Amino acid sequence: MGDAIVGVVANPLSGRDIRRLVTQASVFPTAEKANMIQRMLTAFGAVGVQRVLLSTDLGGISATVFRAIERHRDQDARWPEADFLDGRPIRQTAQDTVDAVRRMVTAGARVIVCLGGDGTARVAASAAGDVPLLALSTGTNNVFPAVREATIAGLAAGLLATGVVPAEDVTTRAKLLEVRAGDRTETALVDVAVSTERHVGARAVWDPATVTQVFCAFAEPDAIGLSSVLGQLSPVARHEPYGVTARLATGASRQVLAAIAPGLVVPVGVRGIEPMHPGVVHLVDARAGVIAVDGERELTFGPGEQPSVRLRADGPRCVDVAAVLAASARLGLLRRTAADPGSADTDRPNGGVSARKEF
Amino acid sequence: MTDTVERKALTRERLLDVYRMMRTIREFEERVHTEFATGGIPGFVHLYAGEEASAVGVCSNLDGRDTIASTHRGHGHCIARGVDVGEMMAEIYGRKTGSCHGKGGSMHIADLSKGMLGANGIVGGGPPLICGTALAAKLKGTGGVSVAFFGDGGSNQGTTLESMNLASVWNLPAIFVAENNGYAETTSSTWSVASDNIADRAAGFGMPGVIVDGFDFFAVHEAASEAIARARDGAGPTLIEMKFTRYYGHFEGDQQTYRASEVEHARAELDCLKRFADRVTETGELARADLDAVDAEVATLIDQAVAGAKAAPLPTEADLLTDVYVRY
Repeated sequence: MGDAIVGVVANPLSGRDIRRLVTQASVFPTAEKANMIQRMLTAFGAVGVQRVLLSTDLGGISATVFRAIERHRDQDARWPEADFLDGRPIRQTAQDTVDAVRRMVTAGARVIVCLGGDGTARVAASAAGDVPLLALSTGTNNVFPAVREATIAGLAAGLLATGVVPAEDVTTRAKLLEVRAGDRTETALVDVAVSTERHVGARAVWDPATVTQVFCAFAEPDAIGLSSVLGQLSPVARHEPYGVTARLATGASRQVLAAIAPGLVVPVGVRGIEPMHPGVVHLVDARAGVIAVDGERELTFGPGEQPSVRLRADGPRCVDVAAVLAASARLGLLRRTAADPGSADTDRPNGGVSARKEF
Repeated sequence: MTDTVERKALTRERLLDVYRMMRTIREFEERVHTEFATGGIPGFVHLYAGEEASAVGVCSNLDGRDTIASTHRGHGHCIARGVDVGEMMAEIYGRKTGSCHGKGGSMHIADLSKGMLGANGIVGGGPPLICGTALAAKLKGTGGVSVAFFGDGGSNQGTTLESMNLASVWNLPAIFVAENNGYAETTSSTWSVASDNIADRAAGFGMPGVIVDGFDFFAVHEAASEAIARARDGAGPTLIEMKFTRYYGHFEGDQQTYRASEVEHARAELDCLKRFADRVTETGELARADLDAVDAEVATLIDQAVAGAKAAPLPTEADLLTDVYVRY
């Protein structure tokens, strides 16, 4: 067994798109992203992670974390050794996330924590291979990443990386949607939307009147975004082996009041709705338009390209934070012996482990 | 989402118009770059090449009720607002036929008849002006909006920050467009702008702030369209930050020892004209031949503008005392 290594990739641009203008979405501050990483470093240190690989960005996150690490050196609570990936060239595009995740995988990261929105998680997942992914929300309409305290996520990632909680028990394989248009392929973790817009433009999709078809890997009734429309009609959980697709039309007799974006609750007309089974190819019923993956317009297509969407069962391996900490409770991994606070035991990962249940 | 204000759809006609605008700015600037090197142009020029999608993406959403205030890098804003290209070139050459009768030069081109309040030699000079015109539009109920363009350097000026505050307090139909081209003269914005994004400052003034890929006409147009519709609808100001690169130095003659190969990369991979052309031909909205015809037309226009400027007379001594506030 190699070193207990965790990778952390953070998207400096998440939480800043046009939805701050067209909806009530808030700006997710860079300082908070940097703070989340610091809180994770504390959690990693507490459970014995040896090394952390951090992404580099020009948005101010890595610079802030770097300063914090320098300042932290003399303090008691140990942070693991942290290495910033040499991000050259930093393109300030999604490719930076792909590059960072690939390098983390190559360097032996056992878990990759990803800070961003659905878009960031989608891109990170495409590069993570079989390494478990823990996606935390710092974006806008987030469905896939969890809104969760970074310290707890850090403990979970750490317990996984050190191997004391076996990954097989606490990770699940997510579903994935694969879109093909001509010779191009994109993937989505939550939804694929077909829009009548002609251009990628400002990327986000916030006007349901432009959407004619939606494909969902899962559709939760309490989600935000287009998948919630299907979630209200025909909910599909993340773990269920199928997805769901629907045709939307403004004038349809069946209307669902849905939260499409923060502060935007609008009626959405739904025509047909049907399940998606893994491997079955669903054709896009439009001659031209734009395809949005996980809420971002990404692919334009024209006549003759006939885009198609299929559900795949082999999405990223995702860390179930609650399951990791439940396992830790069961195994007593975070228990320490109070009688001997100064002993070497308390400093060691898993020091004072007791598998007894204490009632 | 603002529903009461109509957005301008990007019809074939309008796509050709915006391409013509962007191409005109590019050709104008490339030509000024060459002409300046030959010594025919007096004073300083600051070129807008590379940033065309910003001026055109924003201004193509405006109409006759609206006003804009520009910067020292103002040629693009002038052209996008419809200022006559021949008169602009003559102004840059300091000729009597120029927009300001040859007395302003590159940094002071203005045309109030076009709602163009002027290029501005003062960094951060534009934002206070648009608070005035936006207030006027609001009080008169014209539905007009005002747009101030400023750079990353201008974003740090007190005038800009005060104006954003005032616009928010008075709920003005004002749009603040931060054109972050990475350098305030020679100082990197990553060093000089304390917030990590200029757009993030909007929160402090109680207005929305968004970041837009300034090389992408469609992204700019869409964001500007929403911000302008919102302002017309009485919902107040917006800050939009364009992220991109200028293709030339701060001024013509700048050795640019402070930056590396980013321009090469931008010209090859990110260029707004190239991306626009690829996009509209891919979707079949326009044909290459349509775009080529515009290119030829623009080349002739710029040739004529330069020839006209060179042939035009200089202002005379008597012109010195015209258009002044006080008669001596």
